Amino acid sequence: MDEASASQAHTAGAFSRRQFLRGLGTTAVTAAALGSTLRGASTAPAKNDDARSASAAPLALKVNGELRTLTLEPRVTLLEAIRVHAGLTGPKETCDRGTCGACTVLLDGMPVYACMMLAVEGQGREVTTIEGISRDGLTPLQQAFVEHDGLQCGYCTPGFVMSLTALLKKNPRPTETEVRGACAGHLCRCGSYPKIFAAALAASART
Amino acid sequence: MNAFGYVTARTPAAAIEAVRDDGRFLAGGQDLLGELKESLVSPKTLVNIKSLPETAEVRREGATWSIGANVTLAMIAAHIELHRAFPALAEAAAEVGSPQIRNVATIGGNLAQHSRCWYYRHRDVRCRKKGGSTCFARGGESKYHSLFTGSMCLSPCVSNLAIAFAAGDAQVVVQRGRRTERLTIAELYADAWRTAAAHNSLRADDLILRVELPVTTRRSTYLQVAEKGDFDWALVSCAAAAKVDGTRVSDVRLVLGAVAPVPWQVAEAGAFLEGKEITRETADRAAEIVLRGARPLGDNAYKLPIAKALMRRALLKLVAPA
Amino acid sequence: MPWPENPRYFGKATPRAEAPAKVTGRAKFTTDVALPGMLFGAVLRAPWPAARVRAIELAKARSAPGIKAAVAVQDGAFDVRFYGQELAAVAGVSRQAVLDALPLIAVDAEPRPFVVDEIAAMQPDSAPVVAGKANLGEGQARTNGDVDTAFAASAAVVEGVYRTQVELHHCLEPHGQAVAWEGGELTAWVSTQGVFALRDGFARALGVPQSNVRVICEHMGGGFGAKSSLGAEGALCAKLAQAAGAPVKLILTRFEEALAVGNRPSSWQKIKMGADAAGNLTAFQLESFGTAGFGNGVNNGAGSGSAAFPAPYIYKFAASRVKQGSVAINAGQACAMRAPGHPIASAGIEAALDDLAAKLRLDPLELRLKNDPSETRRREYALGAEKFGWKEKYRAPGSSPGPVKVGIGCAGAAWNSGMSRNTQAEVQVTTDGGVEVRVGTQDLGTGSRTVIEVIAAEMFGLAPEQIAVRVGDTRFPPSGTSGGSQTTSSIAPAVYDACENALTELKKLSGLDDPRGANWKNACAKIGGTPLQVRGRWREGLAAGGGAINQGGVQFAEVEVDTETGFVKVRKILVVQDCGAVVNRLTCESQINGGVIMGLGYALYEQRIMDRASGVVLNPNFETYKLPGPADIPAIEIVLLEQPERGVIGVGEPCTVPTASAIANAVANAIGARVPDLPLTPDRVLAALGLVPATERGGARAEIDAAFRAVAQLPVHAGATEAFA
Repeated sequence: MDEASASQAHTAGAFSRRQFLRGLGTTAVTAAALGSTLRGASTAPAKNDDARSASAAPLALKVNGELRTLTLEPRVTLLEAIRVHAGLTGPKETCDRGTCGACTVLLDGMPVYACMMLAVEGQGREVTTIEGISRDGLTPLQQAFVEHDGLQCGYCTPGFVMSLTALLKKNPRPTETEVRGACAGHLCRCGSYPKIFAAALAASART
Repeated sequence: MNAFGYVTARTPAAAIEAVRDDGRFLAGGQDLLGELKESLVSPKTLVNIKSLPETAEVRREGATWSIGANVTLAMIAAHIELHRAFPALAEAAAEVGSPQIRNVATIGGNLAQHSRCWYYRHRDVRCRKKGGSTCFARGGESKYHSLFTGSMCLSPCVSNLAIAFAAGDAQVVVQRGRRTERLTIAELYADAWRTAAAHNSLRADDLILRVELPVTTRRSTYLQVAEKGDFDWALVSCAAAAKVDGTRVSDVRLVLGAVAPVPWQVAEAGAFLEGKEITRETADRAAEIVLRGARPLGDNAYKLPIAKALMRRALLKLVAPA
Repeated sequence: MPWPENPRYFGKATPRAEAPAKVTGRAKFTTDVALPGMLFGAVLRAPWPAARVRAIELAKARSAPGIKAAVAVQDGAFDVRFYGQELAAVAGVSRQAVLDALPLIAVDAEPRPFVVDEIAAMQPDSAPVVAGKANLGEGQARTNGDVDTAFAASAAVVEGVYRTQVELHHCLEPHGQAVAWEGGELTAWVSTQGVFALRDGFARALGVPQSNVRVICEHMGGGFGAKSSLGAEGALCAKLAQAAGAPVKLILTRFEEALAVGNRPSSWQKIKMGADAAGNLTAFQLESFGTAGFGNGVNNGAGSGSAAFPAPYIYKFAASRVKQGSVAINAGQACAMRAPGHPIASAGIEAALDDLAAKLRLDPLELRLKNDPSETRRREYALGAEKFGWKEKYRAPGSSPGPVKVGIGCAGAAWNSGMSRNTQAEVQVTTDGGVEVRVGTQDLGTGSRTVIEVIAAEMFGLAPEQIAVRVGDTRFPPSGTSGGSQTTSSIAPAVYDACENALTELKKLSGLDDPRGANWKNACAKIGGTPLQVRGRWREGLAAGGGAINQGGVQFAEVEVDTETGFVKVRKILVVQDCGAVVNRLTCESQINGGVIMGLGYALYEQRIMDRASGVVLNPNFETYKLPGPADIPAIEIVLLEQPERGVIGVGEPCTVPTASAIANAVANAIGARVPDLPLTPDRVLAALGLVPATERGGARAEIDAAFRAVAQLPVHAGATEAFA
């Protein structure tokens, strides 16, 4: 699709075919979302896609398996989209520069800094927040955080939990060095690190 | 962050066309978003280049490793064959940032990243690199700055990958207008040496497509020293590569990072080591050649002993029994 | 002490009450508050370190798209004294609208000369931070005995200049609030260490009675002293909400956190210390100065408004002479930070003590055992040394083999917990057996909520999860600001008293002798439709603090130092901490871990860096203001020295005091040379090793000498800070 039709598609509240298909492959989309998406779906790939003006326009984000259409300027970060526009306040804004990890979410299962990505880049990807892994009570990792007191003020906690969740999925029996490595992108000003490491190792032994 | 448009490019030509209207390429965004947030840049458009075809793969093509510009640092750090073939690169990638950064940051972005000088990055300081008339690091806080420079700017090259790639004689394949050009790592940064305002030799519409790393029988390694144990910028980094026969080396590359606006390499040091045994003494002699002519400022002379220690350790590591 | 003899929960390890909410992201912090129609606020800050502001023009910003209100910090002309000082604020419908509007505010100002480093500020030709006033404020001094004679008679005397940096609090949740007005009544959700202090602050700033102000802080992301009073941004937020007629949330950015919300003052300490040949301390002399920001008075606010600190801290000298000054610079003002004054005091004197031990060829632990006047600390040193393996590990300074050298060090600390004797608690028991305990305190992440839960569970014979605890609201019974490690010793007795009163009532009401535990349900069934509600007050005999008790703590550090690169790695810290009666072991240990790690940051990484030429804070982010991360954490072993007979005391502050000193001493022991300036970064370690030519240390030699001479000549203010012997 050319740039002009791409922007038209966006005023109609759609996203590109590629992204739509990728979204479909993973989790079912609600009928309402399907309807609004199909209307704008393009037919042929071209040299440029998804052209957006600087103004706010609808954008589809799949967060915790749920497709949401949010109206955002391209300069809105993924973190702001999640916290302010989707109302999921588990990921925290602390440094806003990709250094503290409190905003960490999983993007197709990988930990990333939501503050250092634009929301538009989250299109067609699976975004998982702390809320998304906490729907059925506490995971063994979260339970271990509670028991070992792997937190104090708790502001950094959702971020640590996300990175460690990704670690344990990939590597269910990590060493303490691997746990520290997985946490390297996080800061805890209260200094809960020793108990965070202990919680991760305990959860690993339990699963 | 100013308001900007956004477009996803499907071909290099389309990306270059789109970026020409006061745009910036967006790959992993770990550097660019920082600059946007501090209002150091205010482009009209961001051109998403993550969907360009064949740019997210590592391939062995005959005598060359072809590493696409959109290959992430996490992919490099975890690439078993590449790690075996040229460990310096994986080791350098593993020291970049944090897991979250490595999961999205790309090879192209790491090479093209802008200065981390704290004066340059400060929203309220207009330094030489930003077109101002003063380099504040001179007579100011120069702890993290260069020991060598060819311009009035003291901001050092902090791309870990550039240091490792330089040791591997890599070439950067750049789409420049309609032409595809190959730049050595030295050429990629040459402008930063000469021109205070330059971060590298890339023009605004130059698009890195891939890096070509010759397949080599040389051993290699990358070492760095930072203030913190992890997730910190190197005070000094060092990559070394050489053919090794017992403790004897040939075809040596010895490169330093964070000491000059370019990856710092002195050919004479390699020539000195050619055919020699690596001992503490020969390594130190080579290190002295590399550091000859260094001009430390008030706060950064400490980089000299660190650089020397790193070069010695890297060379000794190359000849250490596997 | 009436605390239960055979407790089920008191003193045991109870998981934090709010932990499930925090690990799932459900816990709502101030930054997470979303009110209907809420606007976003942001502050315009001075880009100059010094200026005269003549006028601020808001009209253009006010009419920008999406903007609903704009206010100036004050009408008329005023002085800017630091880079980042508040000028004005706007509120609008989105963060983007607000950020786009801030540059539209026109500020008519004349930049003025400025000075941002202590040494330059003390030179005669320095720009004045406050017009007409000397940058070096009045000093404080104290002399005991005949110091010169005592030095002359000493077998060994050391002299050195030790330096500590400006440290920033950097709580992960930034300062911020959401404010909503309804008529003349104001409700504020604030990230604060004192809901009642904030109510007072809002009432004064907005000119409304305190009874019209409600402050709520359910969860907060750290304070460390920086969130004890209403900041300029709080008043601006309330004014914006008033002007816009809509709720406004204003949360500071990390950048602003580095500029304008407090810090730990710096210090330059010229110490002279003597001992006889057997190692008995004889004489002490200190001349010190430091900066607490643009103010330079003596104790001008929040516990550390001046750069003075207790001296000679925990040691006693027959003869001592202390003279301290504070110098103003164009930088954000200090405020209380975790154990105000103490880590600074400790860093100087503990370093001098080890340097003296080295000169006398004595084991520094022996020197402490001989000279430390505190019986508690001597016990702790003996206990800790045993566990740490001090005797086996100790080597003479610099004698560890190889390029990576190992060293050990130790240091001690003192603390007097505060106490808020007006604290009250409220217990409501319902006929279904439900218990709700309310205290108008706040939980900074220290575990206050769980302390309340544990005590009520213990008193009623119930499980902790049966107790609902409500804190962080001015509608609950009053308590003080959480500062001075006083929260536990303030709330624990009040909760105990309330529970005891509830039991008395319940006995009467139910006719049961013991309504606790198994009888609870039956007893409560008699309550009926109107819940039973009682109050409790803080009372004597359950807690200690308020200056009545001297808490000791000691720490041991083991480090390795790469003498070729200057890199320091801390391998281990062992803590022996005086903790009175422990309420909850789990959260007590967590606080101690936190104190140690903050001390490690002070020792190795953290420092605010000002640029002399531009006057800006050069490292206003976590990339260049370096906090300890996961790779930097040593093995931390905690030994709780329990003395339950002393009652409940606080531990949050004392545990951070000796860490940096112990690490610095371990580094000196490893390399056989003193790194006199914190933080101990590779450049400084290499300089101490003589591998780098000596560089300027924050000023030219002659200027530094002139600065100390100026301190020596200061007119003296009576009543220097007492030592903590």
